Amino acid sequence: MTPPSASPKQAAPAPPAPSPTPARTSRPAKREGQRLSNGAFAFLLTVPGLALFAAIVFYPLVASLVTGFFDQDLRLPGRTFVGLDNYADVLDRDFWPVLENTLVFTVGATLAPFAVGFALALALNTGLKGSGFLRGLFLFPWVIPGVVVSFLWMWIFNANYGVLNGALLELGFIDESVSWLGEPTTAMVAVIVTKTWASFPWMMVMMLAGLQTVPRELHEAAAVDGAGAVRRFRAVTWPGVRGVAAIVLLLEFIWNFQHFDTIYVLTGGGPAGATETFAVAVYQDAFKGFDLGHAAALGGLWMLLLLVLVGVYLKTSEREDKHS
Amino acid sequence: MTTAQFTTADGASPKAPSAGPPGTPAGSRQAPRKPRRRPDQVRSSVAAWAAVGVIGLFGLLPMYWMLVTALSPPGQAFRFPPRFFPTEITFAHFRAFAENDKLFDYMVNSVIVAGVTALLSVVVSTYMGYSFSKFRYRGRKSLMNFVLASQMFPQALLLITLYAVFRQFDLLGTYTALILSFTTFTMPLCVWMLKGIFDTVPDALLEAAAIDGASRWRTLHSIVAPLAAPGMVAAGLFAFVRGWNDFIFALTLSGDDTMTLPPGLVNTYIGEFQTAWPALMAASLIVSVPVVVAFMFLQRYLVGGLTAGAVKS
Repeated sequence: MTPPSASPKQAAPAPPAPSPTPARTSRPAKREGQRLSNGAFAFLLTVPGLALFAAIVFYPLVASLVTGFFDQDLRLPGRTFVGLDNYADVLDRDFWPVLENTLVFTVGATLAPFAVGFALALALNTGLKGSGFLRGLFLFPWVIPGVVVSFLWMWIFNANYGVLNGALLELGFIDESVSWLGEPTTAMVAVIVTKTWASFPWMMVMMLAGLQTVPRELHEAAAVDGAGAVRRFRAVTWPGVRGVAAIVLLLEFIWNFQHFDTIYVLTGGGPAGATETFAVAVYQDAFKGFDLGHAAALGGLWMLLLLVLVGVYLKTSEREDKHS
Repeated sequence: MTTAQFTTADGASPKAPSAGPPGTPAGSRQAPRKPRRRPDQVRSSVAAWAAVGVIGLFGLLPMYWMLVTALSPPGQAFRFPPRFFPTEITFAHFRAFAENDKLFDYMVNSVIVAGVTALLSVVVSTYMGYSFSKFRYRGRKSLMNFVLASQMFPQALLLITLYAVFRQFDLLGTYTALILSFTTFTMPLCVWMLKGIFDTVPDALLEAAAIDGASRWRTLHSIVAPLAAPGMVAAGLFAFVRGWNDFIFALTLSGDDTMTLPPGLVNTYIGEFQTAWPALMAASLIVSVPVVVAFMFLQRYLVGGLTAGAVKS
């Protein structure tokens, strides 16, 4: 009999869990030469990792939040306690526009790659010839470094020599070159397109993995019953991948909510703050404006929003876990 | 399906994939091997190819353009409207990258920092992943969730204090600062990947080792670790790639002598007036090569490894 606490096996071909073993119980083993209980041994294994986390993630995070209550300059030692002044200031000035930019970017850069990636996964899942090769080929944009992605699209969007302007002019879609990264609206679209290019492959891989868990027989049975493609998608495909889709969308949303590289390199938050998201604004405040207190207050509010998202994510992934 | 349907399918769409090459008589030897498709399957395969084609333009053309620009002499790269097929090519920009001492130093820094990050991540994550996989104790689930959640903490916010902490300990601009900070965002992924791999190691093996008198350390190091070695290599490669690609930590915490390629390229090429685009595209290609090669090896771990941390637990 398998104890209820047996770990969920990941790989399908894993052998059935054997009967409870000494390693699995948390009671101290009685054998000689083992001074530590299994529980203590298990905890000891996590100590190096936890120490790192505590020093490099947990402490800085808490300290950053504390900094939000001080007036502090990056270049100068010392700081003054100012209570909630920074927060009041942030809420008064940049929180709302930055939140709006962040939401526009995050929603756009989550839904667009999902649509592209899912469409591609559906196409590849029909058993096209060479779909394995195609899957590998389409992974490239996701693999290459974020900074390189930004350079590439900066060049494509270039107002004077960019290939996008060139192509659109040749095809007659526009009459004169557009300064894609220089106008507030097009800059945001450009940033979202760039991020879409970089992350649709991940969506494709995940959705493909989800699609492969949908039994082909179900499709065939539905087809025999006369269900059309749309009907089959709604009745068979979507219910089968809904769980994966939820997790993937949520994760991508969380990542985009704190995305930095592409935006910073492409536009630096400009023009006129049009693409300034939380990540960029906090970075600029701290390392360009040297106003640590202000940056930390803005970052604190940002963190609060992220924590809500992470909480939703953990709940969802646990629920999906129980389903599978 | 009846034979009649087969014939109809072929008659309705002579371009059905299962039809023999032009000129071959109907019912060629291919027929028995591959069942022919019904009309709606043909339609869906046409739709599938159309989707692949459109997304292919979006997904692959930019990379083609990167290559074309990298191979273009400046006169050609800045011609407008640009030429889709270049008329002359040059490898000068690749040579220039190789001959640039500064860029070479950035690359060495990248190799060192990403390499040590990968090693450290794997070692630390192996212990943690093993603990999560093979033991049951109070707080385990919370620890696992904390590790998973920690990769979602905002890096820009962490940096504010990390910068101060490293400055205080005089580590700003050192490899140590970069490696330690990189490890925190590579570890969550490594821990979850390795946990998944240890889950597939049968418990009976540990039991047998215990009966034979092996200590738990010995069991982990001499029996389990060698079994999990391919997974550890995969996790290490992932960590290497993440470290190689990182921009924000490297931009902020590195010094002139320890700067890695991503911020190094920004500093070198993004000029105030005119960016040297062909040279930058060549450099971009060179920077992408190690990552692309690493992922070719990682393909088969990709779905399993990534979904381990994301979709399942």
